[in-house]
Amino acid sequence: MTASLTGLYFFAVGRGLDASVLSGAEGIDGAPLQIVECQDLQAVVCAVDLDEFGGASLARNLEDLNWLERVARAHNDVVFAVATTGTVAPMRLVTICAGESSVRDRIEALYDDLSAALDRVEGRREWSVKVHASGAPAEQPQDRVDSNVEVGSGAAYLQRKRAAADRRRAAGERSLHVADEIHGALAAVSVAARQLPPQDPRLTGRPEPMILNGAYLISIDEGPAFRALVERVGESHPDASIEVEGPWPPYSFATLDAP
Amino acid sequence: MTESPEASRSPATSRPYRTSADQYSAGPAPANLADILERVLDKGIIIAGDIKVNLLDIELLTIKIRLLIVSVDKAAEMGIDWWRNDPMLSSQAQDLSEENRELRERLAELESGERTDEQA
Repeated sequence: MTASLTGLYFFAVGRGLDASVLSGAEGIDGAPLQIVECQDLQAVVCAVDLDEFGGASLARNLEDLNWLERVARAHNDVVFAVATTGTVAPMRLVTICAGESSVRDRIEALYDDLSAALDRVEGRREWSVKVHASGAPAEQPQDRVDSNVEVGSGAAYLQRKRAAADRRRAAGERSLHVADEIHGALAAVSVAARQLPPQDPRLTGRPEPMILNGAYLISIDEGPAFRALVERVGESHPDASIEVEGPWPPYSFATLDAP
Repeated sequence: MTESPEASRSPATSRPYRTSADQYSAGPAPANLADILERVLDKGIIIAGDIKVNLLDIELLTIKIRLLIVSVDKAAEMGIDWWRNDPMLSSQAQDLSEENRELRERLAELESGERTDEQA
């Protein structure tokens, strides 16, 4: 048997990382994390088997939700670990380089942009706030139909349909307004804020639509105050249900497309 | 630096803690896969590695992930919009087909009434 080729799975680039904390911690499939130094930045990588992470197999493996979950969780765990020891900018899932020199080349090429991304998130964490509309819009027991329209006629039917559509639209507008208000209040105290696409109800398992999927960049020290603010905002919006999660590493803000 | 020994012993097992476990929601305990995937697939530093993989070409991602997690708008931007017309996948399409069915039934009802008139 020939030894299989390996590549380097590139988890994150960081600054001020404590290599002693990370070296030897587990990356993927038991492979230890390694640090590749490049100027004042550090890449966090681990060796992966290209039989698993090479072109065709990678494409096939990504089709397998169990494989994807395992790698996504390992990736996320490493990013969380890196965040505890310094400033982190996570790479996208399955960024694979041939070797250390290739990792260094990429950091060199993007040095200024990566440094700027790290500057933006240094000392900060991401908080996730999801808002669901709560309950169905108030239903009229029977939509009003003009008295001069015969009940049971086609015209009455169309009027009922129209009234129902109007109600749905009004509820949609109310939700939008609530979402804007909540996002505005949270963005006002954040270093930066982004709206992610609302998640599908089949994914959230909730019948009510998600009306806001916000990400907020907050100083580490201000995390508890942010959480308290979310709770207050939630109390003042009984028509919405609010979930706050965090702190996350700054996934949504350590990006190359500067805000 | 005075990291607690626990924190440095097994750094790779850290998980986001849910702070929503109070009166606002009783969500599942560990970070859910959707929350992780929407970040690790769609955010962070996106550069080309040596292994070329177009995450957008992946079939399963299309169905299970791209549709549900990664921005539907983004999928549409990329010209992937088959789901819009697939009644199994699009709730909007489902509503429409439901509405169509109702309208067809209503129309049939009205037409059958008219036909008797015409034939009379």
